[in-house]
Amino acid sequence: MTQTKKRIIINKIIMTLSALSALLGIGFLLWILTILVTNGLDALSLTIFTEEGSPPGYEDSGLKHALIGQLYIVSYATFFGVPLGVLAGTYLSEYAGKSKIAESVRDISDIMMSAPSIVIGAFVYAIVVAPMGHFSGWAGSIALTIIMLPIILRTTDDMLQLVPSTLREAAFALGAPKYKVIVQVVYRGAKAGILTGILLGVARVAGETAPLLFTSFNDNFLNTDMSEPMASLTVTMYNYATSPYEDWQKLGWAAAFILSMFILSLNILGRLFIMKKKGK
Amino acid sequence: MATIVDITEEKSLEVRNFEFTYAGADEASIKTLNMPIAKNNITALIGPSGCGKTTLLRSFNRMHDLYPGNEYAGEILFKNKNILTKNEDLINLRIQIGMIFQKPTAFPMSIFDNVAYGMRLQGIKNRTELKDRVEKALKDAAIFNEVKDRLKHDANGLSGGQQQRLCIARAVAVEPEVLLFDEPTSALDPISTSGIEELIVELREQVSIIIVTHNMQQAARVSDYTGFMYMGELIELGRTEELFVTPKEKLTEEYITGKFG
Repeated sequence: MTQTKKRIIINKIIMTLSALSALLGIGFLLWILTILVTNGLDALSLTIFTEEGSPPGYEDSGLKHALIGQLYIVSYATFFGVPLGVLAGTYLSEYAGKSKIAESVRDISDIMMSAPSIVIGAFVYAIVVAPMGHFSGWAGSIALTIIMLPIILRTTDDMLQLVPSTLREAAFALGAPKYKVIVQVVYRGAKAGILTGILLGVARVAGETAPLLFTSFNDNFLNTDMSEPMASLTVTMYNYATSPYEDWQKLGWAAAFILSMFILSLNILGRLFIMKKKGK
Repeated sequence: MATIVDITEEKSLEVRNFEFTYAGADEASIKTLNMPIAKNNITALIGPSGCGKTTLLRSFNRMHDLYPGNEYAGEILFKNKNILTKNEDLINLRIQIGMIFQKPTAFPMSIFDNVAYGMRLQGIKNRTELKDRVEKALKDAAIFNEVKDRLKHDANGLSGGQQQRLCIARAVAVEPEVLLFDEPTSALDPISTSGIEELIVELREQVSIIIVTHNMQQAARVSDYTGFMYMGELIELGRTEELFVTPKEKLTEEYITGKFG
């Protein structure tokens, strides 16, 4: 066999193997989505959005408490996590550069990004829940903030570093003070990237269950007091799905469907931002 | 010792016993350099790569201060004052000494906002004044007719040559006394290049210009004075027509006849 022929055959084998692996991955994803959509749509009804939780067997039960609880917990986490993450990323990229402190903060955030989220939940349990004496929405938000922080910090840092240094120099050369260079020129240049990081960070924490089990716990009824235990879609879904009651399981499917669609749209929005940036 | 021609015009800048050392470097990149810069003239800096011409240029607006550890010694006099002192107001200095970079540096905002940027930094908020001065700057930079219908459009939609002229408009809008050009045409095509060159010659009426260029023909075409630098020293500063025809220094002659560099 000639070299060329051998090369062509090896090429085909590798191509087939990688195509099959890709198909397998996509296949599972589609399978998950199909089951989710069929069961989820089946379970979906208007009462899901208008009614609170009720004991099994009751007609009118819904997820209003979990939806609103989820919104509260994730919103507060975003409210704390985004400014902290963006400012910390700004510090790393614009002030600390390649210094030892900056490099260790980068390393630590990379480790934190892959830390099991249940560990973060246990940590917040120890520093917030235990001293308070009970579970609370605040504790849930704090746990999610901690998970969100390294994601936003690292994307902000990376995106700011992609802004060419000549752009900064040009602004300085016009007599701009440093904070104006950062806010008016560098942030604008990295806007799409930073927004993507924020969206992906929010999407990531919106799907977390483990850290909430230890912190915000659950509530079967509507509660908007952040200092009390609070329902969330993820924990509600976990409870309902593992229950033996068929109507609760159905509510679990609805929760799974709503949550997935929310995260999916955040992800799509994030990609759209990236595409828009590249398209320029 | 360098051969330095007597400058009959008023001086806008004067470099005296200047030395510059980059952070962490063992040796100075510029060694005891003396050089006068004539007012409302164009001074070109030529020399082989690494001779220190860009380093010198970036000292005039203290650009090196953006990166820690760089060290200046000696004096650069501007309006009878040494601008290398620690307590020099860099913001004020950079308003008076503007800079155009090698690659166009249009900010990610509209054409209008780009040109207005420097003026807004100075606190000019009056809309009519901003509009008038943006228009004048764009006219001065010979780009007004091309962009007058799309001032609200993103500046990144302009071609490279247009962006470079926009950057010139942005720099002249704050009415500086000196403009520093760091190889302003090296990223541009020949037509854009000749456009920028014409513009530089016209701007001489308003400002003193120092231009670093790799291109000796460009120096010969646009400048009134040319300084030849080699290994961190100024070898010769002369009137451009004299320096290129009858160089006084052997090194200058070898460089402009292409024997090295």
